[in-house]
Amino acid sequence: MKKLLLTGVALSALLAMAGSANAAYVLGMKGPGAGNPFWAAVEAGAKAKAAELGVEVIVVAPPAESDVQAQITQIEDLIAQKVDGIALAPTDPNALAPVVDAAKAAGIPVVFVDTRGTNEGVTFIGTNNEVGAALAAKYLCDNLAAGSEVAILQGLISQSTGQARADGSKKGLTDCGLKVVAEQTAEWDRAKGLSVTENILAGNPNIKGIFGSNDNMALGASEAVKAAARTDITIVGFDANPDAAAAILAGDMAATIAQAPANMGGFGIQALVDLKAGKTLEAWIDTGTVLVTKDNAADYK
Amino acid sequence: MSDTPATKSGFSLRGPGMSKFLEVYGIILVVVVMMLVLAVIKPEVFLSAQNLTNILKQNASLALLALGMYVVIVTAGIDLSVGSIMGLSMVCLAVASKAGVPWPIVLLIGPAIGLLVGWVNGVGLTVLKLPHPFIMTLGTLNVARGLTYLISNGAPISGLQPEVRFIGQAYFGFGMAPPAGIPASMLLVAVCAIGLWFFLEKTNMGRHIFAIGGNPHAARVSGINVDRTLVVVYMISGFMAGLSGLLLAGRTDSGFPNAGIGIELDAIAAVIIGGASFFGGRGTVLGVLAGVLIMGILRNGLNINNVSAFWQQILIGLVIIIAVYIDVLRRRAAVRR
Repeated sequence: MKKLLLTGVALSALLAMAGSANAAYVLGMKGPGAGNPFWAAVEAGAKAKAAELGVEVIVVAPPAESDVQAQITQIEDLIAQKVDGIALAPTDPNALAPVVDAAKAAGIPVVFVDTRGTNEGVTFIGTNNEVGAALAAKYLCDNLAAGSEVAILQGLISQSTGQARADGSKKGLTDCGLKVVAEQTAEWDRAKGLSVTENILAGNPNIKGIFGSNDNMALGASEAVKAAARTDITIVGFDANPDAAAAILAGDMAATIAQAPANMGGFGIQALVDLKAGKTLEAWIDTGTVLVTKDNAADYK
Repeated sequence: MSDTPATKSGFSLRGPGMSKFLEVYGIILVVVVMMLVLAVIKPEVFLSAQNLTNILKQNASLALLALGMYVVIVTAGIDLSVGSIMGLSMVCLAVASKAGVPWPIVLLIGPAIGLLVGWVNGVGLTVLKLPHPFIMTLGTLNVARGLTYLISNGAPISGLQPEVRFIGQAYFGFGMAPPAGIPASMLLVAVCAIGLWFFLEKTNMGRHIFAIGGNPHAARVSGINVDRTLVVVYMISGFMAGLSGLLLAGRTDSGFPNAGIGIELDAIAAVIIGGASFFGGRGTVLGVLAGVLIMGILRNGLNINNVSAFWQQILIGLVIIIAVYIDVLRRRAAVRR
């Protein structure tokens, strides 16, 4: 099915290019298999910018966020079609590095969005996840007594996003004197976030705060906390997806960190157009992070 | 299963009593030993009511999948589509629940989708005469997962009716401090397990299922309607997967499109660890439940000791190999005597 899907993607990409004389830029995302409204916002941002600039945008994504192989194949096929630029969110930066090099060798400008790749000299457009995670840690520090026990639900540590959020939160939490008693991966997944939190609660009854490296895991954690009838646990997520915003308004989660996914898509397309026009870009274009609490959660629903 | 020809060959250790006991209950001993070890390493956590509750509710959906998979494996078949059926059921029932469909109907959606996909699997296998169930169910694995993404548009659908969540989330505390208690999901697993046991042991069709697994040709010659039986078998597996989707949706309050990816392999592993033969005709319901518990307790034990999830995968892989190897050794010894 992967082959079929990819052929489909390639065909539709071809059609999209044949159908217009405009320059065609690719947005290579990790979703929709991510099951995450985040990617919908990235896509919308890119499409809005493309419409504004009068260029074509082709959106591709592997069926699941962990499907590195499918993403490599997609990008290879697009290079073969000589697209005008690729804004890529690499599922695995190391694994995607050779195809990014291949694209550059073929004269196709590349920028990374959302997740930084390993290739030298490729501009990264995205959140500083370490800063964002530190912002989440600061919220926990400000709202918990010094010395309180806290847990970190990590994403996939093999990805730079997962690594940066794990590092940033751990550093922030320990620096302000909170005690990190559990750090476990729940692989960005809601059901795993729930199970892992249940186990953490069983082993560490004094937990007062939980940082979920994404909202899906934080929402799973909030289910576990609710089931345990604990009301004294502060849960902070990351991504500010609509479900998390609703949970914050309902009091199930305390806060989350908003990235600006629409900026990633929009800045990504703009950067490709600039590169194509011969301009040079900064190495890192920060798209920014914001703390979302009860006060501003309604904006993210 | 003592009345099936395939299992009879297994007895002839010292006395029929002892070997039969080991055949049926040996796997339970493994569960008990694992629990004892963990109880010694982490007594204050592992044996807490909260942790034992966690093990039960975290493994309920896998238990249902494994029970369904077991019936398929008894016929020497395989059902790769169960994880996708689970995801499709979750997303569909979440959409219906959000749309305000009355909850008794929403409850039926998961199992109904399971029965439907199972029927497609069975019909594909028997009418199209595809050479192996691997192929048909690999097809439906992809079709059902694709539908899941299409219907959900790739995004999770959260916020289900409380009645829909009940079976996946509720538990009966009997005065214990939350969240300890008997999960409703475990009761559902118990009902399904007993129902399945009765069906396989006490009904004609149940015995036919074992006969097909032992020797499909002989079964056909002896007048069993093999095709019809196989369709029923895949419908049972689909039904269990749909129910299991209902449990996970209730537990997480969400129909998320990535749910159940790869879980069919966990279900197969649990069935095999539980002593069922990949070549059909052999296995027990009790063994399957023990297989699920072995995987669940292993994961839980590593979690509460803060061992990395990567090790869990390595160890579960080793357990699969070792469990089947022990079985091979035991059979070889039985044949020699």
